[in-house]
Amino acid sequence: MNVLGIETSCDETAAAVVSEGRIVRSSVVSSQVHLHARYGGVVPEIAGRAHVERIVPAIREAMAEAGLGRPDAVAATYGPGLVGSLLVGLSAAKGLAMAWDVPFVGVNHLEGHLFAPVIEEPDLEWPLVVLLVSGGHTLLVEAAAPGRYRLLGQTLDDAAGEAFDKVARYLGLGYPGGPAIDRAAEEGDPAAFRFPRAMLDGSYDFSFSGLKTAVVRAVERHPSAATSDVAAAFQEAVVDVLVTKAARAVRARGAKGLCLGGGVAANSLLRRRAPQAVDVPTYLPSMAMCTDNAAMVAAAGSFRLAHDGPSPLSLAADPNLFLEVVA
Amino acid sequence: MLLGIETAAGLVGVALGDGGGPLAGVWLRGERRHAEALAPAIDHVLAQAGASLADVEAIALDVGPGLFTGLRVGVATAQGLAEGLGVGVVEVTSVDVLAREVYDAGFEGPVAAVVDARRTEVFAARYGGPGTPSEPAVRDTPAALAGKLAELPGTLLVGTGAHRYRTVFADAGLRVAAVREPSPAVLVSIAASRLAAGARGVPAGSVRPVYLRAADARINWVRR
Ligand SMILES: [Zn+2]
Repeated sequence: MNVLGIETSCDETAAAVVSEGRIVRSSVVSSQVHLHARYGGVVPEIAGRAHVERIVPAIREAMAEAGLGRPDAVAATYGPGLVGSLLVGLSAAKGLAMAWDVPFVGVNHLEGHLFAPVIEEPDLEWPLVVLLVSGGHTLLVEAAAPGRYRLLGQTLDDAAGEAFDKVARYLGLGYPGGPAIDRAAEEGDPAAFRFPRAMLDGSYDFSFSGLKTAVVRAVERHPSAATSDVAAAFQEAVVDVLVTKAARAVRARGAKGLCLGGGVAANSLLRRRAPQAVDVPTYLPSMAMCTDNAAMVAAAGSFRLAHDGPSPLSLAADPNLFLEVVA
Repeated sequence: MLLGIETAAGLVGVALGDGGGPLAGVWLRGERRHAEALAPAIDHVLAQAGASLADVEAIALDVGPGLFTGLRVGVATAQGLAEGLGVGVVEVTSVDVLAREVYDAGFEGPVAAVVDARRTEVFAARYGGPGTPSEPAVRDTPAALAGKLAELPGTLLVGTGAHRYRTVFADAGLRVAAVREPSPAVLVSIAASRLAAGARGVPAGSVRPVYLRAADARINWVRR
């Protein structure tokens, strides 16, 4: 069973072919990061237009690399994300599925991220706690088995990656903010400032908007502070909150492993701290599997197809799609 | 056989036709429903005509100018279909479809096809008469367009923009015809005549919408 996956929820145009639910035959990601860099964030209309130009070449390359003329099914992300971006991949996927006369299946992008470890780690032990952190999402999820999840907590305001982008922009470090702050923090002293940690009274939810405000206030009060010190202290505060809550969830839920996912999972401090905070195996995905890609969509689509069957061709894009409790 | 896809101006429209004219079609006014309605509409039209996608030799696509969200659904669906079927896409502008409908009905004077562009603007193209070459569409305000068109007596206006701002145009002494949205059946017949005249479709990867407006460079920090 070969599934073509298509992912266009934000600013990556991606297509991939996955066999037997987890063997990646090809994975093409056409990044638009340079198109959005001068704006310091993803511009929806620019992203939508770029997807239209890149979607067919990405699909063609993924199919050619997999050596396939026609897959057995087509899977595409239908939410959450930017609606003008989601519609491109979703519509192209429906067109392809109709033309090839194969099933179409819509994939929840968040569930896609949860399939990254399934692809990369053959010996995963369940249940898992998954910390999914990117420019678009910040979730803590308990996964009992593939396809069975419980949302433990999520951000109440900014996503973790969004906080990195906004603080990087404020500090003049450029876009994307995650790698920029990571680099700047290397030479900084994380103890130079003590920024607030929003622990929210033992809940698994997150809040990063206050932290961003605290950074701005600190810089205003100490205009001569080294940017590297501010970056290091900010990164320390974000990682501290993420790791504390993830470790608490692992203990409370009796999880046999902790998985990281999403673009912020590429952060070097988070990758160092997470394994130290838990006494179960920590799974750190490769860079390519942290960030948005279509292999994870194809893997999740394979699972959904086997589990629930094809999606209707009337499936709409849902920009606010949630990770529902799936049992 | 040709499959026409029309999503540029508020309609979700699908038509099937060949050199002899349209065979089957559906349309619905689909503000914000393009993604849900288009693929099932294609299935429905094919089934009603007793045809399958294997019979489709080219896709006729309205590439705009029009409303970006609907336009992208039509363009991406056409790209997927064309890529999967290995057929070309005949790109037709929304304004050409609108003008052709009144000329096919026998009108012989000058026509202005005017598509609503939101934000008190329209996309418009002018035609001197049937068979005259179309000029590229431009973006304009209704008032400025009305001023220019008033210098061409007898110009007939068609399209969603003509209807939305009909009082502006009426005040300038211009007439607005009943034609509002581009017709998927007319779209198919334009593409069929172009193919018959030797034109060829473009490959799926080369299909480009006609935007006529720079991308709005606003970041929206979505909460997810
Ligand atoms: Zn993502």
